[in-house]
Formats: sequence, C-alpha cells, structure tokens
Amino acid sequence: MEILSNPFLQLALLGGILASIASGVMGSFVVIKRIASLSGSIAHSILGGIGFFYWLKYNQGQTWADPIYGAFLAGLISAFIIGWVHLKYKQKEDAAIAAIWSTGMAIGVIFISLIKGYKADFTSFLFGNILLLSTKHILFLAILDLIILLTIFFLYRYFVAISFDEEQSTMQDLPVTLLYFTLLGLISLSIVLLLQVIGIILVIALLTIPPTIALVFTGKLVNIIISSIFLGMIFNILGIFIAYFVDIPPGATISILCAFAYVIVLVGKKLVLRKRKAA
Amino acid sequence: MTIAVEMENVSFSYGDNLIIKKATVSIAKGDFVGVIGPNGGGKTTFLKLIMGLLSPNEGIIKVFDHSPKEERKNIGYVPQRIDVDKDFPITVLELVLMGALAQIKPFGNVALEIKQRALSLLDQMGISHLQKTSFQKLSGGQLQRAFIARALLSDPDILILDEPTASIDPEAEKMIFDLLASFKEKKTILMVSHDLNAIITQVKSIISVQQTVQYRLPEEVCEHFAMGLYHVPLMKANKEHKKGKM
Repeated sequence: MEILSNPFLQLALLGGILASIASGVMGSFVVIKRIASLSGSIAHSILGGIGFFYWLKYNQGQTWADPIYGAFLAGLISAFIIGWVHLKYKQKEDAAIAAIWSTGMAIGVIFISLIKGYKADFTSFLFGNILLLSTKHILFLAILDLIILLTIFFLYRYFVAISFDEEQSTMQDLPVTLLYFTLLGLISLSIVLLLQVIGIILVIALLTIPPTIALVFTGKLVNIIISSIFLGMIFNILGIFIAYFVDIPPGATISILCAFAYVIVLVGKKLVLRKRKAA
Repeated sequence: MTIAVEMENVSFSYGDNLIIKKATVSIAKGDFVGVIGPNGGGKTTFLKLIMGLLSPNEGIIKVFDHSPKEERKNIGYVPQRIDVDKDFPITVLELVLMGALAQIKPFGNVALEIKQRALSLLDQMGISHLQKTSFQKLSGGQLQRAFIARALLSDPDILILDEPTASIDPEAEKMIFDLLASFKEKKTILMVSHDLNAIITQVKSIISVQQTVQYRLPEEVCEHFAMGLYHVPLMKANKEHKKGKM
C-alpha cells in the first residue's frame, strides 16, 4: 500500500483509468466497424505532428508547441484524409491507408532528425511512458474523455447504424459523411489519449484487444463497451504495477498482457466448445 | 398509369469500367419486377442507381417523378446477405428499428408507435420470438426475414430485394414469396434473383441486366438460360413489352 503514495504511480493509475474509458468506447467501434488498420494508420501518422511540434519547440524556440498538441492536430488531419479516401476512393482505400501511415511517420522522422542534441522524451511517444504523466496531462486526458463520452452518448444510435450499414443509413437520410468523419475524429482523439500510456507503436493493442475479448462473451454492443472499459482498466493497472516492480517499459507490458489475455480466452473458448461437442 | 421508376439513357461506370450502358426503363407503380443477369453484370449497380446510392454518369433517373435522393426514404432495401457483417453485435429488434432511423432520435427510447410497428412486422415474419436474440445467431432464412421487416418498417412504396432467397430453406423461401405476393399492386417490387424458376412463376415483369438493361419475356428467359445465352440481347422481348404497356 505504501507504493500507492508515490505521486508518479498515482498519476499513472489515474491516466490508465482515463485511457481505458476512451479505448473501451472507441475501440469497440473500431472492432465492430472493422477499421483496425485504418486506426493503425491514424496512430502512426500522428508521429508527423509530434515531430513537427517537437521541432517547433526545441529548434524554433516555440515553447507553447507541446508535442501532444501536434499529435492531436495530426490525428485529426489524417482522420480527415482517410475518411475522404474511404468515401471517394473505396476501391483504393487499402493502398491509401498504407501511404498515409508511412508518410506521417516519415515526416515525423525527418523533423526529429533536424533537432540538435538530446531528444528528451521522444521515445515515450513511440513506446509510451505512463509513469511520466503530469497533472496537466491528466487534465488533458479527462477533457478528451469527456468529449468522447458526450459525443457517443448523443449520437450512439447513428454511430451504430453507420458502423453496421452505411447504405441503409444513407437511405434513411442520415448525414453519413459527417457522422463518419466525427467517428474517425473521436478515434484519433482516443489514440492521442492512449499515446502517453502505451505509445504510437502499441496503441492498436489497447484499442482493439479488449473489445475483441468482450466480443467472445457478448453479442450486445453496450456490454462490449462496458466490458472493454473494465478490461482496459485491468490491463493498465496490472501492467503499470508489473512495469514498476520489474522495471520494464509499461506500454509494452500492457500490450503483452492484452495479447496474453486474448490467447487465453481463445484457447479457453476452443476447449469449452470441444467439451460441449464431446458431451 | 403512374410510373414508379423511370430511367432514360442512363450510363454508369466505375472508372473506365462501364457497368450500365444507356439504360432506358419504365417501371409502373405496383409492378413486381424480377431482375436477372450474370454475376458482375450490374444488377446491384442498377438497383443502387434507383436508390440514389450511386449517381449516373449520364442520363436521368426519376422515382415517382422526383430524383432518387429525394425519394429514397420511400424505398425499402433488403441487401445481399454476403454484404452483411454477420458478427455485428445487435439484436434482431435493433436491426429492424434501423429501418426507421429518420424518425428515431439518436439516443434515448424509441417512440412506442415505431417499436410496436417493428414488433408487429417481426410477428408477421414469424420471428417475434427472436426480437432480443443476437443478430449473429440467426439462420439464413431468419436473417432475410429480419431484413425484410427492416425494409418494411417505414412502409415504403417501393421494395428492393437483392437475392432475398439465396441459400435459404424452402420454407423460408415460400414465406418470403407469399409475403411479396400479398403486396400485389400495393407496392412496387424489384427483386434480384438467380432462381429463374422463382422469377418466372412469381414476378409480373422481367428485366435483364448485363451492361444493357432490357425487358424479357418469361419464356425467353427460360429458353435462353437453358442455352447458356444469358447475354444475348433480346430486342424483340423489349419491343413486345413496350407494346403491351401501350
């Protein structure tokens, strides 16, 4: 219990819980709409914004240019481009997603290479470092969570509709394009939220694995969302403690916990089915 | 005679790939039209043009004298089963309610009147006991009936069904055809099917789509299918159909 008085750990746990809310809600939509690779593209292209703001801050002396704002901006821009490609050039969507993925990362790498000297906390954006969260970050995470929750609450039925059947939604005169862009915007917000926890490279694990596990147990979206939030919290909290005690990177630890749990669930499901068949 | 769907010189292509070429079709209100043609021949594109989901490169389409986009809330659509994500986590009732999204608030409770209508449609389809069942657990026939209930929820004047009887059991198929027959003259129906026997016995008119869009006579469809000449243009059939309408 003594370790819970450690302020870094307190902020890390709070950050993990806040990140779980965003990842549980938006990850469920990523999984049911089957847009994991699209979300991966948004996540990786964010590096472009981070690199640019990093360069502004350290090379150009713009102290206001926090890289997290760059991530936020790049996430929204890449969500917009990907959404536009999806709506206008559906047949070439895959290649376009891959192009945005690598271009965003390339921009980030170039700007980072232009920075002279020590590249401070840059690796924490790549692999996450929840143990370095500040009160300012927590406030930022809480605001983003609130935006995501309120938007999903008020547009829930429409988001479900466009996730299931865009054509039927269009036939019912829903503003499908606007809803689709809003959904992608929210996904990019949640990715920015998760950056501090798990990093760009591992973000897709926390976004997609908890809802995929939940989907094994329930066929109702609300239950999937709630279960994903709780699973995310468990993985985050457990991952933070393991990382803290064993002194390994928390982002990678959380990621491996997610994958490990998924494998256990899949194997367990197979065994149960086999047992039922035999009976 | 009221015209439900009118196409004049309509062409549509995906990039350089011409799918529909100079289609001129006139479908009367209350008609039951079977749409046939080979896979990849443009049947679904033809339907999507009528529904306003695609815009033609040239030509004019009118649905009850309006643009398809203005009238699409008046069209119920049953998609091909292959286009549906069978793992999507919703209940049967939630699926049916999607047929009235334009009248439902994006959050909170659904109006009682709409919910009761959805339940009554499920009852009519013989699947009211499945209303709370997850969509993932439905058989092929149950799934098609749920989609038909969704298409009928807003009581549209036009019903478009894309292969509604593909890979379903004979009992479910009979139920679907009986239901469609009960709409005789009340709704305009367009149904895509590869089951030519069903097409010939159930529908009033037949349209074949293979880049060109043409009316066909039942006996000619039978004869040409047997000979594997699905693609032969039948100008005669087209002319006779037009003559019959005059």
